[in-house]
Amino acid sequence: MSDQEQDKLKQNPSFVLRAIKDVAFEDRPVPKLRDDHDVRVHIAQTGICGSDVHYWQKGRIGDFILESPIVLGHESAGTVVEVGSAVKYVKVGDRVAVEPGVPCRPDTIFAATPPWDGTLSKYYIVAADYTYRLPDHVSMEQGALVEPVAVAVQITKVANIRAGQTVVVFGCGPIGALCQAVAKAYGATKVIGVDVVQSRLDFAKSFGADGVFMSSRAEAGVDAVEHSENVAALIAKKFNLGDGADVVLECSGAEPCIQAGVFVTKKGGTYVQAGMGKENVLFPITTACIRALNIKGSIRYTTGCYPAAVDLVASGKIDVNRLITNRFKFEQAEEAFELVKAGRSDVLKVIIEGVQ
Amino acid sequence: MAINLSFILEKAGSVKYEDRPVPKLESPYDVLVNVRFTGICGSDVHYWQHGSIGSFVLKAPMVLGHESSGVITAVGDKVSTVKVGDRVAMEPGIPCRRCVRCKEGKYNLCVDMRFAATPPIDGTLAKYYSLPEDFCYKLPESVSLEEGAVMEPLAVGVHITRQADVKPGQSVVVFGAGPVGLLCCAVAKAYGADKIVAVDINEERLKFAKQYAATHTVVSQRESATDSAARITKDADLGLGADVAIDASGAEPCIQAGIQVLRTGGTYVQGGMGKSDITFPIGAMGAKELNVKGSFRYNSGDYATAVALVTSGRVSVKELITGKFKFKDAESAFNDTKAAKGIKILIEGVEDEA
Repeated sequence: MSDQEQDKLKQNPSFVLRAIKDVAFEDRPVPKLRDDHDVRVHIAQTGICGSDVHYWQKGRIGDFILESPIVLGHESAGTVVEVGSAVKYVKVGDRVAVEPGVPCRPDTIFAATPPWDGTLSKYYIVAADYTYRLPDHVSMEQGALVEPVAVAVQITKVANIRAGQTVVVFGCGPIGALCQAVAKAYGATKVIGVDVVQSRLDFAKSFGADGVFMSSRAEAGVDAVEHSENVAALIAKKFNLGDGADVVLECSGAEPCIQAGVFVTKKGGTYVQAGMGKENVLFPITTACIRALNIKGSIRYTTGCYPAAVDLVASGKIDVNRLITNRFKFEQAEEAFELVKAGRSDVLKVIIEGVQ
Repeated sequence: MAINLSFILEKAGSVKYEDRPVPKLESPYDVLVNVRFTGICGSDVHYWQHGSIGSFVLKAPMVLGHESSGVITAVGDKVSTVKVGDRVAMEPGIPCRRCVRCKEGKYNLCVDMRFAATPPIDGTLAKYYSLPEDFCYKLPESVSLEEGAVMEPLAVGVHITRQADVKPGQSVVVFGAGPVGLLCCAVAKAYGADKIVAVDINEERLKFAKQYAATHTVVSQRESATDSAARITKDADLGLGADVAIDASGAEPCIQAGIQVLRTGGTYVQGGMGKSDITFPIGAMGAKELNVKGSFRYNSGDYATAVALVTSGRVSVKELITGKFKFKDAESAFNDTKAAKGIKILIEGVEDEA
């Protein structure tokens, strides 16, 4: 039998994480609708997130531990091919962005968080109300970027960013860059991006940031916290932030950035932790207290974020195409993951095409 | 012998008893409750008398009742938070859990809400009723099943008071000293309000309010809204005006007085339901920069808060229960409620024949 003929026999090719650092392609049965409110989506494009790479390499994030094989991937867009009998607003043929986390129905499911399967299969089952129609002019590639845009929308929501505010964003990777762009779209007057990699800063400056700052690591013998305080002072001075920024979005997870972030938030300002790095860090808590800061965490997205994200992409306010630096076919999925793992500074968003 | 005797509204003005099948558990997360006590609400009386409220029109016979408590007699396979034998307060409105309002956390505003005894959904005045486990609230031993039936109006009072955002030290004027108004006074007190002024035309109810939770009472008179507001402000020493005004009457003069009695920047909450369209002092609302909100039923956490308030003793509801009728005398209970006799009248559950 030829390769082509063999491929045709495959029902639902899937990219599976079997164990730490052990991925493989498996054919799985075509999934069935679980109830009348489900739809089946033929996945067209999937972006890769740091968390996907982390599960692959380390097998756990916090209490979520890989104990049995899971399909990877959660940032997807595709075409609806089947709808349940109670589905009202979605129909076969609709091109949709897929929201991968569905709470309480009855379990809380998040695609590619163990033990739940992700979206790197030919088909994926999801509740209809967790799909969002893409306007005709929005491509499937853009559709796959809706998920990280939704993350940035949530971060901005948690930070309660208002027109006229100043915002400092630590980290100019995809999430940091998107936060900068969303903050601008939502009316922030001055958005500053901070990173240690020049090419990331160059990109940020051309994407959403009004200004960028090249941070530095503390030299040997210098107290790390004192260094972070100096970095904060330099940022405030360079960009005329006065007492500090109204809002700081920490999108790197790096301890020096977390510290600098607290120091560069103005009195009464808001600091949002979105980046995930070390679980426990040395945190300037007295500064947080004296400056009466509002400190919040942000995780994933809530009601309204996905529609807002689709709108930001569809209206052209955020050009997500510019974040896509690498494209792979489904069969090259492992290569795609290796590329993200390598952490090259010229790589932003890597996407994997669906099974044709 | 009936297996699930039910009290049914056939059409406006006409009630009857009928045996109905015992409800099946539709989902493994559902439970079956043997209903023990059911309170009567103004809305129940209204459907009984008029057959409709707004766009909700009775088109087929419907079981009445929605303020209930009972004992769990069966649980679905996946139920984990309650068990057979548990005594529970029953939250009677089940939202779809899928629409935007539900996902935002405002499930009382659900587009596809299924509310007991709002047509066409059957109510709780039957021997058995089924509902999801997370809409049952366990009652501790110290709280009786009678009190359990008052959790529903208490949850309404909790929701109104939360909408009003009552904070410690504030002054609150509550128009209407019926069950909901009284419960708003009690919750406002539990939330630390310093001055709680009950206003009504009925002096008996005001006397009760004063012993119950109000710090001041004012008898409504025929006068302009501004005169009424001035009198309330003077009698209760409200200074620049009340921080919060709650209407639990639905009466036009009260709504107008509520707006007038507030200080600048105050908060007004509409809980009561009367005439749909009224003359409203919109100029005062704008010039005083008031926060004006509606309040409808209850949502996330209100029922649990109601149970917690009674369990901790911060709110007492026993004294609101002024009458109890046997299931076979349900119509008399409705008549007494319609005549505004007492405060809260309960109907006991179906008794097993000896």
